Amino acid sequence: MKRLALSAGVLWGAVTVAFIALHLAPGKVVDLIIGNSPGVTPAVRQQIIKDYGLDRPLLVQYVSYLEHVLRGDLGHSYRLQIPVSRAIGDALPATLALTFTAIGLALIFALVVAVLTAHRRPWLRGLFSTAETIGVSIPTFWFGILLLTVFSFTLHLAPAAGGLVLPAIALAVAPAGMLTQVLRDGLENALDEPFIVTARSRGLGDFAVRLRHGLRHALLPAITLTGWLIGLTLGSAVVVEQVFSRPGLGQLALGAVTGKDMPVVMGVVLVVALVYVIASTVVDLLYRVVDPRLRTEAPS
Amino acid sequence: MRTPPGALLVPLLLAVAACGSTTASSTATGAKPVDGGTLTYAVNTEPTTCLDPHQSPADVAGLFTRPALDSLVALAADGTIHPWLATSWTVSKDLQTYTFTLRTDVRFSDGTAFDANAVKANLDHIAAPATKSQLAVGVLGPYTGTTVVNDHTAEVHFARPYSAFLAGLATAYFGIESPASLKQPEATLCSTKVIGSGPFIIDSYGVGQGISFHRNPAYHWGPQTAAHTGPAHLEKLTIKLVQEDSVRLGGLESGQFDAIASVPPVSVATVKANPQLNVLTRQAPGGNYNYYPNTTRGPFADVRVRKAFRDGIDFKTIIDRLYFGVFQPAKGALSPATTGYDHTVETQWSYNQAEANQLLDQAGYTTKDAAGYRTRNGQRLTVTWNFFKAGAREQRDTLATQIQAAAKQIGIDVEFGATGTVGQFLAAFVKGDYDLADTSWQREDADSLRTLFATGSIPTPAKFGINVARYSNPEVDAWLEQALAVTDPAAKAALYAKVQQRVNDDAIVFPVYVFNYVLGEQRKVHGIGWEPQAYPLFYDAWLAK
Repeated sequence: MKRLALSAGVLWGAVTVAFIALHLAPGKVVDLIIGNSPGVTPAVRQQIIKDYGLDRPLLVQYVSYLEHVLRGDLGHSYRLQIPVSRAIGDALPATLALTFTAIGLALIFALVVAVLTAHRRPWLRGLFSTAETIGVSIPTFWFGILLLTVFSFTLHLAPAAGGLVLPAIALAVAPAGMLTQVLRDGLENALDEPFIVTARSRGLGDFAVRLRHGLRHALLPAITLTGWLIGLTLGSAVVVEQVFSRPGLGQLALGAVTGKDMPVVMGVVLVVALVYVIASTVVDLLYRVVDPRLRTEAPS
Repeated sequence: MRTPPGALLVPLLLAVAACGSTTASSTATGAKPVDGGTLTYAVNTEPTTCLDPHQSPADVAGLFTRPALDSLVALAADGTIHPWLATSWTVSKDLQTYTFTLRTDVRFSDGTAFDANAVKANLDHIAAPATKSQLAVGVLGPYTGTTVVNDHTAEVHFARPYSAFLAGLATAYFGIESPASLKQPEATLCSTKVIGSGPFIIDSYGVGQGISFHRNPAYHWGPQTAAHTGPAHLEKLTIKLVQEDSVRLGGLESGQFDAIASVPPVSVATVKANPQLNVLTRQAPGGNYNYYPNTTRGPFADVRVRKAFRDGIDFKTIIDRLYFGVFQPAKGALSPATTGYDHTVETQWSYNQAEANQLLDQAGYTTKDAAGYRTRNGQRLTVTWNFFKAGAREQRDTLATQIQAAAKQIGIDVEFGATGTVGQFLAAFVKGDYDLADTSWQREDADSLRTLFATGSIPTPAKFGINVARYSNPEVDAWLEQALAVTDPAAKAALYAKVQQRVNDDAIVFPVYVFNYVLGEQRKVHGIGWEPQAYPLFYDAWLAK
């Protein structure tokens, strides 16, 4: 319940900030809503003022805006000539598929590599650690082109435009690097704990110790990081979508920002906030699954 | 990262993408066309805001819809007009009434028949204020209405003599859409499939997703300018949006795309050297990509300073080096591909730095300040350039920087105005708050001179226009009006020649480069043709097995 109230609070904050930003921006709000849309006649302009209630007091406008958002009505894009909810609805699935595939790949990579390399021979650990650092710092744009050159242009294994696997790999590299580092550190710390010695003394094999006892401890910070990484990946998706010619939220947002299409920009802000909220809720729930200590707290 | 096309869709900039008329049509033919197959064409821009070419401000909407739309007439490369959906036409003596006799056997892909009512519905749609047409309505000129004489005869009326009508009518912006589909709200028409009578039928379209077509098996009413009759050779046609130059190129080289738009100039030689590939170029007609001085204020109000800027900068060398010969240096307002282009302009002026320096001396800029710029009465010779960097394509921003450096050599200080956003740019533009501006204006005939230099085309906050030089010369205005009232091509060309020479004499334009549409294709692709505005046509195209 507390969780739900907090989520609602975050969303309400995002809506409010978007509303304030729109009204604080220089120029008339109606012109921001119209943006660079060509050929909006004075009559249409009047209609927009009426539709958005821009002639009413600010507070009334705010309440009415909240009301619209609650009903799922995010306004109309005069640039694209369609409702914002449709523009976002069209773009979101492709971006979510890309983002979650990337996060999934990053998690799998991190789990496998961390379990295999924690406290292993220095050269092996060093090799992966270096690779992870490179992965984190590699420019997504450049890496995307590199992937295309190798796997699409040369080996013909993937399409040059569209596709899911290559863009997901390009997007997964940085999160994979970060997750592996955090997971391995956590795992190594856990492996130094006394309870590990206890577990080993009961005759458990090395892998079983790592998986059943070490990993559970190491997962907590990694889960937190994953929640945050989902947001980060949504942001990087702009670049990846551009390189791989994938339509999606990134391209929509980019077009909206350059075309000054405020209703779409606000809609994207809200949707990204929503994804964040959902991700952090899921993270909280996972905490309870992974860490039994949290379950003793009375369910709220 | 490059700017998405959405950012560029301001009327001023839309002229830039299209292109013209010099080289080969697709790979040497002679072989017998093969039917079937899918041709995948990767392009760099899309009509972000609206697909309907009647409404759209994006000229690329013409490329996206041409396969699905026919026009009443077709324009050949030599500027002559040929039958298409209209079998014949007559023009009244006063050039105010055009009477079209229409084909009787044409059906739209929604099953409805094409007739005179459809012509009326389409032209009225373009003219209707609710359509908010951005490109097409400008070409419709002083249109007053269409009379349906009978099912297959339509009369189109104008308020004034309007000889430029047929050339405009041949473009995709006048593509005839099914009247039933035109009844949809304008916004719906923008974001859904356009329905016409063309050789291809749209399967799917979405912003960022490109457009795909399948062939119309019933099609047998192609333009007289086409190489064949009957249905299109290709089974399917897919246009994909791939904005990254390197990805488009990689996709072509690896055989994933059959053809690509806009081969980057730097890669043209590589593509040409590849035995699997072929490069087609086509000069765009209309106004070149040029710089225009603001003749109403500042240093450029003085013709000597204007001439000094044009003649004192080695435009040719800069352009040849930057574009590797893919775009040719321009010598006048119009592209050589334009019907009515006057070759005299090529010898009217040439690069001469010494003379430019003399002209600046004569204009009173005799002293130099510490930074090396010329001054007059202690005032530096500075010109402000209304340059919209975010909308720059074809390395125009790099070019601008090089021109700036070259101007310094003759002591002219070129400063870029505070025009970071489209809004700032347009505001300065309509107010005339600049000394220098750049634009191109693709149109199929020399009437584009009217758009570029007539007093009525000077942009103001109340009325958009493209007379960027803010040039007002009653004599030139009169020639341009007269040209609209004559039909004899020679008499018309003579009037347009006068205008072209005069604007060079008065240094109203600093010619920059002739835009070429540069298309890369697989050798197995044959028969790609060209639209008047230098967009590729796929009706005759076919794929060798």
